[in-house]
Amino acid sequence: MTAMCDVAFLLLTFFMLATKFKPEDVVKVAPPSSVSSDDVPDKNALQVLFDKEGKVFFTYSNGDELSGFVDVVSQQQNLGLNDVEKKRLIKILNGGGGIGVPFGELKQVLDLDADSYKAFKQPGIPAADSANNQLRTWIACLLASNGGKQPDNVLVKGDNGAKYPAFKEVLRAFTDNKVFHFKLVTAMADAPPGSALWDERHKK
Amino acid sequence: MAEMEVKGGGGKKGPGVKKSKKLSTRVDLTPMVDLGFLLITFFMFTTTLSSPTAMKLIMPDETAKPEEQNEAAKSGAFTIILGKGDQCYYYEGDDPKTMQVTNVKGIRDKIIDKKSRTPADKLVVIIKPDVDATYADAVALLDEMTINDVKKYAMVAVRPDEYTLVQATEAANGIK
Repeated sequence: MTAMCDVAFLLLTFFMLATKFKPEDVVKVAPPSSVSSDDVPDKNALQVLFDKEGKVFFTYSNGDELSGFVDVVSQQQNLGLNDVEKKRLIKILNGGGGIGVPFGELKQVLDLDADSYKAFKQPGIPAADSANNQLRTWIACLLASNGGKQPDNVLVKGDNGAKYPAFKEVLRAFTDNKVFHFKLVTAMADAPPGSALWDERHKK
Repeated sequence: MAEMEVKGGGGKKGPGVKKSKKLSTRVDLTPMVDLGFLLITFFMFTTTLSSPTAMKLIMPDETAKPEEQNEAAKSGAFTIILGKGDQCYYYEGDDPKTMQVTNVKGIRDKIIDKKSRTPADKLVVIIKPDVDATYADAVALLDEMTINDVKKYAMVAVRPDEYTLVQATEAANGIK
């Protein structure tokens, strides 16, 4: 009994420490499944989320400073963000779930205190119409702050129930900025038996 | 395990003083162990089940010069248009009029069939989701390319003439 208890609690400690709770996304997104087996990189990754209704959210987790990026955003869009607001924005972008407000409302939203921010329903970044595609602006600002260097990982996470045009506009925001390599975040599924991929994977 | 050494009553008692009853200091550990295992199960499930995967997608540069874009050979082209309600409309070659209907689940057999009849270097699958298609269907179709080992495929916008044809078929089949 004692030995079993010891093992049990050792396992418990192990799993508790090994579990990494990912920051909750601003919206609930249930991605579709695919047979691909690559891992989703979580470092230095730019992620665009879109939900059922096509609301678009933007996150960017980067090991080092995001202040350059935030400065460019503030300057290009004439937002006049102060240091506190910039810090908030960095926190939201980097593991804080993601931002999904038009530039016009960004300053106000960053001024909200923690509780009201939680309660606030973000309307999503306007991306549906190509004349005012603000997602494109976000990406352009990111590239400008990086000196034109492409982000290492561009993740697109869409909801199962989303319509295709939402996805198309997200891709367009990137392709307009000459970013062509994407990784779609999907849930894992097995290769269907009998298919070419299944044969390939079970060759041995 | 969880008992402690307790000195029983101490030194000598005077006459007439009753020996105090030795209370057991063993604690029942069963609930603690139960809780421990419950937590283990919880953490085990949460760690393994939530592992998303990444699916690579490379989009073409639409602003590239037309002469740099390669035309799909007519004989090997297989066009799939995604419409409402998980329906797929597919045709071979370049004539949308020969369009046939199936659904997302049924398209695999058609792709395998086409693949078996076409030389490997000629086969090009063109995926055209229209405005009524869902993101899930587009991903499912891209996934079919991996599943069936189709080397060349592209995801492009649907042409207006194809779209009207699809809409007419949808209306005729009563798909909303």
